[in-house]
Amino acid sequence: MDWMRTMISRCAALFRRRKLDDDLDAELSSHIELAVEDNLKRGMPEQEARTAALRAFGGVTQTRERYRVERGIPAVETLMRDTRYALRQLKRNPGFALTVIVTLALAVGANTAIFSIVNALMLKSLPYAHPERMGTIFQRTQGAESATGRNDIDGEQWELLRDNVPSLLAAVSSDGANGVNLQAGQNVQYVHAGRVSEHYFDVLGIRPGLGRSFSADEDRPSGPKAAILSYGLWHSTFRSDPNLVGQAIRLKGEPYTVIGVLPSDAVTPFNADLYTALKPSRKGEGAGTNFEAITRLRDGATWQQADAELNRAWASWEAWVAARNPGDRISFYSVPLQKGATAELRPKALSLMLAAGFILLIACANLAGLTLVRTARRTPEIATRLALGASQGQIQKQFWIENSLLAAVGGLAGVAVGLLTLRGLLSLLPEDYLPVASVPLDGRVLAFTLAASILSSLIFGMAPALTVRRIDLRSSMATRSVAGGHGLRLRQWLIAIEVALTVILLASSGLLIRTLVHLETLPPGFEPAGVVTAKASLDDARYHDPAAFRKLMDESVAAMQRIPGVESAAVGLNLPYERALNSPVSVRDGKEAGRESNADAIYVTPGYFNTLRIPLVAGRGFTASDTTTTQKVCVVNRAFAHKFFHGENPIGHTLNRGQTIVGMAGDVPLSPGLDNNAPLDSEATMYVPTTQVDAQLLTLVHMWFQPSWIVRTAAPVNGLTGQMQRALASADPALPFSGFYSMSDLQAKTLANQRIEVALLGAMAGLALLLSAVGIFSLVANLVAQRTREIGIRIALGSSIREAMFHIGAPGVRASALGLVAGQVLCLGVLRAMRSVLYGVGVYDAPTMLAAVTTLALVTLVATTLPVLRIARIDPASTLRDE
Amino acid sequence: MGESKSDVLQGTLDLMVLKTLEAMGPLHGYGIARRIEQVSANGLSLNQGTIYPALLRLQQRRWIKAAWGTSETGRRAKFYSLSKIGQKQVTEETENWERIAATMARFLAPSN
Repeated sequence: MDWMRTMISRCAALFRRRKLDDDLDAELSSHIELAVEDNLKRGMPEQEARTAALRAFGGVTQTRERYRVERGIPAVETLMRDTRYALRQLKRNPGFALTVIVTLALAVGANTAIFSIVNALMLKSLPYAHPERMGTIFQRTQGAESATGRNDIDGEQWELLRDNVPSLLAAVSSDGANGVNLQAGQNVQYVHAGRVSEHYFDVLGIRPGLGRSFSADEDRPSGPKAAILSYGLWHSTFRSDPNLVGQAIRLKGEPYTVIGVLPSDAVTPFNADLYTALKPSRKGEGAGTNFEAITRLRDGATWQQADAELNRAWASWEAWVAARNPGDRISFYSVPLQKGATAELRPKALSLMLAAGFILLIACANLAGLTLVRTARRTPEIATRLALGASQGQIQKQFWIENSLLAAVGGLAGVAVGLLTLRGLLSLLPEDYLPVASVPLDGRVLAFTLAASILSSLIFGMAPALTVRRIDLRSSMATRSVAGGHGLRLRQWLIAIEVALTVILLASSGLLIRTLVHLETLPPGFEPAGVVTAKASLDDARYHDPAAFRKLMDESVAAMQRIPGVESAAVGLNLPYERALNSPVSVRDGKEAGRESNADAIYVTPGYFNTLRIPLVAGRGFTASDTTTTQKVCVVNRAFAHKFFHGENPIGHTLNRGQTIVGMAGDVPLSPGLDNNAPLDSEATMYVPTTQVDAQLLTLVHMWFQPSWIVRTAAPVNGLTGQMQRALASADPALPFSGFYSMSDLQAKTLANQRIEVALLGAMAGLALLLSAVGIFSLVANLVAQRTREIGIRIALGSSIREAMFHIGAPGVRASALGLVAGQVLCLGVLRAMRSVLYGVGVYDAPTMLAAVTTLALVTLVATTLPVLRIARIDPASTLRDE
Repeated sequence: MGESKSDVLQGTLDLMVLKTLEAMGPLHGYGIARRIEQVSANGLSLNQGTIYPALLRLQQRRWIKAAWGTSETGRRAKFYSLSKIGQKQVTEETENWERIAATMARFLAPSN
């Protein structure tokens, strides 16, 4: 208790030292006066009374000192004094302080922003209860082509997982949310629905706020139709009606019973407006691997048990795959959901983190250079202090305090910059790009920023602190300033390092830019300008019947064609730049008979090719006379002909479903779903007429895709979108469009990832370039300032100004050149990691490298020339007179 | 910190101050110093200034309180008085000291 009271009192004393000092002085002088008074009373003469009083007291100054030592916390008081001194030092050179703080703010800010994303993606727990017990299933293939990855599963695997893996509570869902029509009163809206199995919300640990989750019965193919609403939809469309549960709403053209409403803070991987039961089976959708599984480890079970049960349950599937691909061995294992869900973004986030780390290193190299110069300038001051008896330790401490102050202020500014950057960044990202609900600036991010600031102050403070040790008192006191040969070489090394890192960042962002340019300038193969498209959901009971679907196609397209100014109109299940349905195809006749592979299948109305201006290179397109009863036909693209017929004329051949190929169209870029990982590519595609799609397929594809209505106009038409909606309404008044898109919107959406990568890495490369330029500039500018006298003498001795310029500029250029070479060598190793994100450009791309090197060379030239020009103004006579 | 001589005296001096305040009531620093000198009959060669760190320590432990007031001769001075905690501590410290003194006495007694 006593020591605690003492500590409190001592801490409190830190903040009122002046007042306490005055108080003590008053008390001590009152003591002396009382003593003098006493002595006088005892008959001493005035002078003697005072002397006696002071003698009896002992040393007033010593008493005051001892009192002060015990009053506060001496270590803290010394630190405060040193800090004040450091602040004064920094204030004397505000340019230096500002440069350091801005540099740190930018570097730390970039790191903070990137790290918050990494944190949200990889470190922060998922927003579910006990996320460490949640998993997803990965497939490991060992054999000719080894691979691991998250795999969707089919209906049979699902049933085996559900019934034969007791360690896991498992659930499946559709692959992302899809558009559906929701009718509330007279109003029909296009909302996003996720389809999930029984126990899905149990796995997530979400309990509906109202009502309940899907039952086993509701999850059976012929079970009752039920829906669970998100809080948002319940609140907006149903005005938070507390009695809604149990009532029917009209969804997808039929009545669904609302059985539950999710709580307001519920987060799901879909973030859909509402959820319906998946009703998985081995047929239809479940015949292919179309389900995404998530699992939760049951109490008492271990992941090892779960994996063993899983592989036992799926043994037949493993055997089946192995039989089809001899030599391959596949197995399955659980992966924590967080890791599984962020597997694709992880390498990207990590490489951005690496780039941000480079920025911090470059900034530190710059700051080390700056502080080296500052230390050299302060050599006389330091020498004086050493001569006056300051210890090396005290001088070192002073330096570290100054550095830590700068690092602290820079770090704080960095947090602010990071916050702003992050906000800008998130507004740049497309919706649902990050599989997390929010990217907070939490304690972990702040701790990271703190660590980054401290680390940087350590790195940039080390060099000057080491040079202080070498200060020789006699020579430093004697000379006016010190050129510091060693300091120069160290600074050159620092410049070389930052230039090398900048080369890497420039080259890698250059490669990404080349990739984006390649993808954006892919020959479209159609005419994107002048087209407006709109999607509507046909995942609707009214359109399970092919006749109703055909009627809708005919009437709506005809109505759109009647809009004044419209040249042509059509409907297609998919558009260029989109992902299409993958379908197994085999050839029935001819040389290639029996050839089997996958192709994209797209249903289109007869006007599709004409409206998009996709050229038909052979044969014919579809016409109104291709009907349900006539010969089944299809049009394939060039890529299809290449894949299935080795580029020979495919027309006249028949495919497995009896379609005869009647035409061949040009290729258009699609978002590939088959074997290619490029974000855009032309895939083997077969187009079929809307009139010849069978009922079963129609229902299935509309669960996954929403067809687009396409309208081409010669010139912009006023109120076109409203007229399109009215035209659709004339065919079906209860069918809303989701929105209207131009083809460039679709292209941008598909290439959003690439754009973000380019923007992020480009910004960082720009920052690195700027920092390098500042580094080279300050190196040379400082040399000019330090060597004015030497230059004066050189010129006086007959050297030309040009020669003097070369002499002074050379160290900067040499350092940069070394960095350029080192950077290219490093690129050989580092850039290889980028292979998977590059398209249309090789990892070692000569033009990119050349551009990066040229840019840096130019920047070096400018950063060297600007300060060197000052040499021309040096007047040898006045410089020499200064001595 | 400080010399070993004052360290030995530290606890003793604290108790002297406490006992003085207990006996005399509120008193300023000079008065306390004089009183200690008188009681010890100048047996201790103590600088008057040394009582100030002792007063500070006692204040930090909240055993004594301080307030500015006026001396009997009309001079402004800081007066110290025992706090509630201090009153309890005087007894405790006194017992403590007596125990130590008794122990010391046994050590110092001629061993026959």
